[in-house]
Amino acid sequence: MRWFRFAVFICLVAVLQASLVDTIAVTNIKPDLLLILLVFFAIYCSTTEAIITSFTIGFAADIIVVGSAMGPRIISFGLVGTALAYLHRIITIRKMPYQSLAIFITGFLAGALVYLLSLLKGQPATSNIFISLFGIPLYSSVVGPFLFLPSAWWMRIKKRKM
Amino acid sequence: MARKQTEVSRAMLLTWFTLAGLIFLFAPQTLTNKFQFTFTRIFRWPLSIGRNFTLSARTQQPLTDIISRRESQYQNHIANLREELLQERQKVKKLSGLYNRYVWEGVKFVLADVITVTIDKLSGKLIINRGQIDGLAKGQFVLGDNSIIGTISEVSSRTAQVKLITDSTSKIAVKIAGVGRVMQGNGNTAKVPLLPIRYKVKTGDVVLADKKPGFLDAPVIAGKVAQCKRDDENPSLWDITVKPVCDIERLKDVAVIIMNPQE
Repeated sequence: MRWFRFAVFICLVAVLQASLVDTIAVTNIKPDLLLILLVFFAIYCSTTEAIITSFTIGFAADIIVVGSAMGPRIISFGLVGTALAYLHRIITIRKMPYQSLAIFITGFLAGALVYLLSLLKGQPATSNIFISLFGIPLYSSVVGPFLFLPSAWWMRIKKRKM
Repeated sequence: MARKQTEVSRAMLLTWFTLAGLIFLFAPQTLTNKFQFTFTRIFRWPLSIGRNFTLSARTQQPLTDIISRRESQYQNHIANLREELLQERQKVKKLSGLYNRYVWEGVKFVLADVITVTIDKLSGKLIINRGQIDGLAKGQFVLGDNSIIGTISEVSSRTAQVKLITDSTSKIAVKIAGVGRVMQGNGNTAKVPLLPIRYKVKTGDVVLADKKPGFLDAPVIAGKVAQCKRDDENPSLWDITVKPVCDIERLKDVAVIIMNPQE
């Protein structure tokens, strides 16, 4: 894993998620680029690397939501990403439809966990739970697999050999 | 053996990271907000560019739009001046010639650029590029298009968070139909509860943020009554919905009112 490239990539994607993604929002539903990356690294990296990247991406996802409590996304992204990485050791997720499905399920589970942890913290997590659980994961699952190729190019990951 | 060691280290890694996440989760928000402020401060420039791009992409502002916005700014300004005049007249009446300073005399307005905007059904927050070193403090009122849009809720050295009047946790004192009430945020709008129907309120009436010693010395327009009907649960009270008088999502800069500047 090229960690410097990873750090630059996460910063870039976090800034994009916090600012430019709104341009492609459809009725307040926008894709979650960090969720897509979470699945990408869980699928294309080793399990140890996937654990580190999952928690780091969770931290990035928490840091861009200004005014909200930090922690729910770190934990949920970390745990769901790790689970996906372990699952990938048993089931190979190579075809685009499977990748889409992986993004949707990961997004749903992470969203549900974020909601529960935010309740635990005593803070409203989201304005619309259905958008968080279904809308955003669905949009991300449509866009996600197409972003795997540029992500793999930037991270110098050879997709076919994995 | 080697495989077992790797497994253990993975488990340890997972435990440590989860523990770190839990520490973040249960740490006071004032502490964790510093990370978010640092992020917005470091990436202030690309975030602002991204936001401007989003705004321009979302709506190509036609000339009529710009004119109507200017008109609304002037109308807000006139409403504020009217209220100031009324207040000054009352003071002159009361003091009958004693010296009294003009309400905005010595007040400092700190202009700030909007870095990010978060508006949804529950929260309404702005991050601006001015902070403690510019004299900002918690509770100060923030103006957008000559109207009160919110108050400072968190401050770091170079950035600050503005809690909008529409935020579900926002409560500010307002004057409506000549009486003082508390306005509560309600997502994209705000509500003024517990106003008896004996007070005459109609759609379009101005709602003013009330005076708050040390923070606001004269009432300033905060919104207009968008809907006014009898409360379903208690018909002797109004159910009033207030809308901000400026398009907060499109704001590029705001002004923070510092009533007693240190300099």
